[in-house]
Amino acid sequence: MAPPAGQIRPAKYLASFVLIVVALYALVFLTGNGSAKPKLGIDLQGGTLVTLTARQEDGAQPSEEALNRARDLIEVRVNGLGVSGAEVVRDGNNLVITVPGADSEGAKGLGQTARLAFRKVIGQPVPAGAVPQTQTSTPPSGSASTPPSAPPSQSAGSPPPSSGAPQGRPAPNLAAQPSSTPPSSSTAPSSTAPSTPSAPSNVDPKVAKEIQEAKALRQATDPQILQQAALMLDCSQPDPLRGNDDLDKPLVTCDEKGEFKYTLAPVNPPKEDTQTKADDYTNYSRLTGEDINNAAANNNPNGTGYVVNLDFKSEGGTKWGAFTSANVQQAVAVVLDGEVMSAPTIQSAISGGSTEISGKFTLKEAQNLANTLKYGALPLSFDSSEAQTISPTLGLQSLKAGLIAGGIGLALVFVYCLFYYRLLGILTILSLVLSAVVIYAVLVLLGRLIGFTLDLAGIAGFIVAIGITADSFIVFFERLKDEVREGRTFRSAVPRAWVRSRRTILSADAVSFIAAAVLYIIAVGQVKGFAFTLGMSTVLDLVVVFLVTHPLVAIASKSKFLSKSSLSGLGGATREGAAHRATSTGKTTAVKEA
Amino acid sequence: MSSVFSRLYVGNGAFDIVGKRTRWYIISGIILLVCIGSMVFKGFNLGIDFEGGTKISMPSVSASGQTITTSTVEDVYSKALPGKKPNAVQAVGSGASATIQLKSPALNIAEVATLKTALAQDTNPQGGQTAISDSAVSASWGGEISGKALWALFWFFIAVTVFLVLYFEWQMAVGALVAVFHDVIITAGVYSIIGFEVTPATVIGLLTILGFSLYDTVVVFDKVKENTRGLLGLTRRTYAEASNLALNQTLMRSINTSLIALLPVIGLLVVGVGVLGVGTLQDLALVQLVGMFIGALSSIFLATPVLVDLKMRDPKFIAQAKRVATRRAKATGPQVAEGIESVDDEALNADLRKEEAYAAAASVPHRTAKAGDARRRPTGKRQR
Repeated sequence: MAPPAGQIRPAKYLASFVLIVVALYALVFLTGNGSAKPKLGIDLQGGTLVTLTARQEDGAQPSEEALNRARDLIEVRVNGLGVSGAEVVRDGNNLVITVPGADSEGAKGLGQTARLAFRKVIGQPVPAGAVPQTQTSTPPSGSASTPPSAPPSQSAGSPPPSSGAPQGRPAPNLAAQPSSTPPSSSTAPSSTAPSTPSAPSNVDPKVAKEIQEAKALRQATDPQILQQAALMLDCSQPDPLRGNDDLDKPLVTCDEKGEFKYTLAPVNPPKEDTQTKADDYTNYSRLTGEDINNAAANNNPNGTGYVVNLDFKSEGGTKWGAFTSANVQQAVAVVLDGEVMSAPTIQSAISGGSTEISGKFTLKEAQNLANTLKYGALPLSFDSSEAQTISPTLGLQSLKAGLIAGGIGLALVFVYCLFYYRLLGILTILSLVLSAVVIYAVLVLLGRLIGFTLDLAGIAGFIVAIGITADSFIVFFERLKDEVREGRTFRSAVPRAWVRSRRTILSADAVSFIAAAVLYIIAVGQVKGFAFTLGMSTVLDLVVVFLVTHPLVAIASKSKFLSKSSLSGLGGATREGAAHRATSTGKTTAVKEA
Repeated sequence: MSSVFSRLYVGNGAFDIVGKRTRWYIISGIILLVCIGSMVFKGFNLGIDFEGGTKISMPSVSASGQTITTSTVEDVYSKALPGKKPNAVQAVGSGASATIQLKSPALNIAEVATLKTALAQDTNPQGGQTAISDSAVSASWGGEISGKALWALFWFFIAVTVFLVLYFEWQMAVGALVAVFHDVIITAGVYSIIGFEVTPATVIGLLTILGFSLYDTVVVFDKVKENTRGLLGLTRRTYAEASNLALNQTLMRSINTSLIALLPVIGLLVVGVGVLGVGTLQDLALVQLVGMFIGALSSIFLATPVLVDLKMRDPKFIAQAKRVATRRAKATGPQVAEGIESVDDEALNADLRKEEAYAAAASVPHRTAKAGDARRRPTGKRQR
């Protein structure tokens, strides 16, 4: 008689599984907002998804700090849209903005505001001449539809009463960078700029060529060529230099509405031109958006309309002071990604960093300018890699299609299992259903805890995981059949088959999990969601196999009725086993039989 | 007993797969060459994500219930954006999900907004302007996804090789990796030959095939490992025969698993194409359908034969094979495919004893706590 090898207590395992399920669902319903819905991705619920990729002119890896800061800044802007549930998530070098709902297209422009710089205006702005209709580039903060006030009429500089205040302010982390080592700080390519067209691998060679040509013309050091360029420039065309301009060189460019053409001085002094060369416009340190502490639109204290109050960090204030004192009655352009946002005239030297920009601003314009000055100070430039708006109806359709696909898949698997394994097939189905129950709860909880969103690729991950989950059962059942074939009873076969198949299941799931984990860590975008669901269902598969399938099979094997071969689908194997017994008892004495 | 199905079902080593391995090598070699040739000379049909562009999709039924034709959409496009032309306008999907998909060269945000407004006004689709979806992709985005995917592939191979070498042995790691490479190349080749569109979702799908193919191979190798334990000390069968037996024993499992994994994928494909038209679901399903099928074949016909060839370079196994041959020559003993006994009973029994000890140790405190336990035990005994 075979010993009662490896007896387990099925009830104990089942009870612990029930406990897990109860605990999970208790968490689902009792914590958070209690709604048992997983967080759906934009492609399933509708909304806008924008993926911004950090763009470095020299192709270098952007710093962690810069990326995180950019994320925070963009998040402020996203919240400024006033749509609830919007999110900005960092994913490697990408920032992924998701804004749910139908009214979410504003998110597309958020990443556009990028590198802010101050450049002195050389000469007078020239009217663009070209019809300023249908501008291809929209203003960064989304709305500048009202007709503009002529830029030259703006004026800047009456030192406001609060001018003394900012001086004592400590300079926060980033502020110290630009002035101490001007040419090599993180925002510009510095000395390598004039040579090869910085060719990061992801830039189309055609685009790179255009940029190069535009640079040769519009960023020439020769004033003659610059003049020529100012004449030739067509403001109605998309600007290849947008965000690609070289801060160390002069620039001929348009304003944001495409109405005026400006010739601008370099942001940085040429290298040989150190601090105190007291002649022309190059005599000041780099002054960029990072030097700005705050900017706000306010009522004009001396009249009607609005002004923008600008407040520099202490380092920036010093630079601004040097710049303004050297350029009184000259115009300074606020340049965002190579586009002139505003070009006020400096009324007097401004020390202390507090500045007022006045002009015929409407509230909207003033706010736009203030936002540009304040938030335009992204430490990096971004490319919109992917921008999609999914209509809620399409999202719903996708969700339905995904669920239908999953349903069809499961149904096919059920039919096959029932046909092939009969009783064991029912156990398979039960296990699959239970694993779906657990997965759902975990999805809801992960959505709450780590903001995991289920997107279409994720659903596909689950559907693929059905195969891997079902396979654990198949491996077990086939082992069971092997044992029965060798002449064991269903009952004594279960523990032996379990011990053997457990090892196989663990190693196979380990491989599958490694695949998912590697994908999750390295990949970007949709791949991540897919990998996550695949890895998660692999782990949960183990839970279900250990705590449910095996105990259930063990229980079935102990019941006389359930272990009838016609029910268990083991008939063929049993017959084979009987034959095997008959031959082997004749041959050897090693077989112990009941 | 002798029908193919019952041979399959019983798995007693009736199919000589390992013995005919040269045949499989030649077949897969030819297929590989064709695939590589196609990839080199024909290339791939890259989707919008790799070339950059804008995609607009809208319901193909207007609010008043009329069908919106693709030519109407094209007209609206050329009116709204003079001087530009859409690459393609097509009607896809069926029933309530029927949509019109428009692919165009890259448009900027303002142009997309203009186009959407124009489409909403002129064609008046069901649901108005909010029912129009758009998606703009830069030319580098697909490249970035794929670049990252290639890195993932690289690290995946390293991680898996380490795992396989530690868990099995290096010959098995090589066999498994050969099979996986084979699967990836052939799947990619099928895409190139047929000209299916390659999207980031395709790349994702390709990566999961790796996991699946390896998973399949691991199950087979686990059985091979079990069958060949202590093999060198015996003259019962050679390594090749033991592996072939393992293959046969897991054959039904391989077929079942592959079928069960493929069934949901087929569901995905049917829904992806039939209901939604085109998109992520379809792309994923298609690549997996191809890959899983090839993965199942390669774990049977390629991984184990390669393993056997590698093993048979080891003098120990050659010597053992000779001993088997001499024993067979002498005796009119049992034939190769005679039975399905296991070789690792010792190890199994040890495992089972350990199991029992754990179970006993773990259940001691529960004995007193659970009255039900005590009551259930006699019932179990009576049934035996």
